Amino acid sequence: MSRLCVALPNGTLLAGACSVLERAGVARLRPEDFDSTLLIERDGHRFIKLRPTDVPVYVEFGAADAGIVGKDMLWESARDCYELVDLRFGDCRLVLAAPHGSALARGEWPPSLRVATKYPAAARRFFDRINVTAELIKLHGSIELAPATGLADAILDITATGTTLRANALVEVVEAATSTARLIVNQASLKTRSAEVNALAAALRRAADPATDGRNMTVAAAAPRS
Amino acid sequence: MDRAPNVDGAGAPRGRAGGVTDWLPGAAELRRASGEALLDVFAAWGYGLVATPLIEPLDTVAAGVGADAQARLFRFMDSDGSLLAMVGERTVSVARVVATQLRDVPRPLRLCYSGPVLRNQPLLGGRRREAMQSGCELIGAAGVAADAECVALAAEALERAGLTGVQIDVGHADFLPGLLEGGGLDQAARARVLAALADRDLVAVEAAIEGSAVGEAERDLLLRFPGLRGDRDILDAAAAGLRAERPLRALRTLGELWDLLMAHGLAGAVQLDLGAVRDFDYYTGPIFELFSTDLGFPLGTGGRYDSLLGRFGGAEPATGFVIHLDRCVDALLRRSIASRAPETVRVAFEPGAEPGAILAASWIRSAAPGARVIRDLDASETAPVGAVLHVRAGGDVLVWQGGAWRESPVERALEEIVSRVSETESWLADAL
Repeated sequence: MSRLCVALPNGTLLAGACSVLERAGVARLRPEDFDSTLLIERDGHRFIKLRPTDVPVYVEFGAADAGIVGKDMLWESARDCYELVDLRFGDCRLVLAAPHGSALARGEWPPSLRVATKYPAAARRFFDRINVTAELIKLHGSIELAPATGLADAILDITATGTTLRANALVEVVEAATSTARLIVNQASLKTRSAEVNALAAALRRAADPATDGRNMTVAAAAPRS
Repeated sequence: MDRAPNVDGAGAPRGRAGGVTDWLPGAAELRRASGEALLDVFAAWGYGLVATPLIEPLDTVAAGVGADAQARLFRFMDSDGSLLAMVGERTVSVARVVATQLRDVPRPLRLCYSGPVLRNQPLLGGRRREAMQSGCELIGAAGVAADAECVALAAEALERAGLTGVQIDVGHADFLPGLLEGGGLDQAARARVLAALADRDLVAVEAAIEGSAVGEAERDLLLRFPGLRGDRDILDAAAAGLRAERPLRALRTLGELWDLLMAHGLAGAVQLDLGAVRDFDYYTGPIFELFSTDLGFPLGTGGRYDSLLGRFGGAEPATGFVIHLDRCVDALLRRSIASRAPETVRVAFEPGAEPGAILAASWIRSAAPGARVIRDLDASETAPVGAVLHVRAGGDVLVWQGGAWRESPVERALEEIVSRVSETESWLADAL
């Protein structure tokens, strides 16, 4: 049996990814295992840790057969991968937020709007869908500073708990989208290694399902057939 | 290196455009040989070669490909202000020729092509913007025998180009749309599910089906994706519970196609894939993709496109496929083929023996077609290292043989070299 290469995202989703892989009986991995290396061979598979934005790239080219990545990363890169399973962790929301007390925060849409975001492609689709003309400014971090410094009228950004928004006196205006972690798969791997890929998808689907919670599974039971 | 290269703008060497490849000796040779192997197989199956232009009116291209593909065309303006496009694929051009100049040629019509295509892919994404495509079109045959011929031909062509062990994924473009229509989904819900399928987003497919009025059998089938793959058995399993005629017709077609593909000797290489979806909007019947385990992208794709020719004025059935030659070379290079350099015959000569060396070189070239014969540009007093033949002023020659120079009459030396070269000159054929 040929092992699968599975790409995992560093950062906030890594712990959840390790947890769902363990609950699925695919591999016993801990986030700390990656402290000293970016590539781990474990339980018959190979796991690599990447920046979340790079996970779809590795999977599209088949450098990784499969990957775990937030849906928000898939909004921005039109990568040719199969998105197979909603892994139901890493919940966050993409929201339009404006300074407390601004017209927009009161629900009054100004005729033109300057919006700072890390997600220009998703933002473009969102504003097209609600028929709002918005000038987008792509930033790479600290988005919440943009309204306070006059760079933008509002931000379109990911929030999990709303803490950062509140700390910066920003108010959610409208939710644009929601995101959870997904299992993505290379198109050729799905066809040429279907047995292994489908076993991985099925095990992760069961582990992610709140109804089963993956309680009755062991590594042995879900280990790929030799 | 005496100076570290710098990445500043000033003084940088003149570069090439992004997303295109310079094929160097070795890889370029492999690419040519693979491309010729494909065309040889196409010809052996009776497919006549056509060559269509690299540019087409934008309107012509737009009639054939979907909005996504149109957005990736390189366009420019013609002298009369109309828009031209560099072709992003060649089936549309062949369809145009078929519907016009070849309208009255008896059917079925078998055509093949090979040429570059250009696509304005985003830079830094690692995708090629210029690529070689070779393909076949079988025009005027509606039956499943034509689909089977195309699948078998594509598989044989890839094998002859050196790509053994290719896996073929066969589906039907009308199965999922028919399934959704028969399942009682309204137009908007069908469009949502199909868009999600085209995006390969199965999570969105599930979401679109949840809370819709789709029938039980159809829901089960859609949620089983991508488990809708397998051999002929999955057709019966899928048909159980379906009542609408359209998806059942697609399943029957796939059953007949499967039987013919087995007759073509493709057992073990073919998988049926009921969840197959394609990017182009013109496929209407059986569709297929060819994969190698070496590469994350398909090597070739094809299928039936019965509605395309109608857009050029002459509606008739058609099926065909394209092979992505550059991806084939990528896969071959991963199998470390072509690391072998071709055998070269180097002819050296003493001062005054240049006319004899010219004659010897051209004699070997004509006696051993395909051999690489290099004649030194300068004379050398003694036989140089690396040469095979050293023509001497007196008329006789030295031949490099078994690790030493041997004196020999000219004719015997030449014949010996030709027979030696003939054994090795087919290095590419051997490698493939």
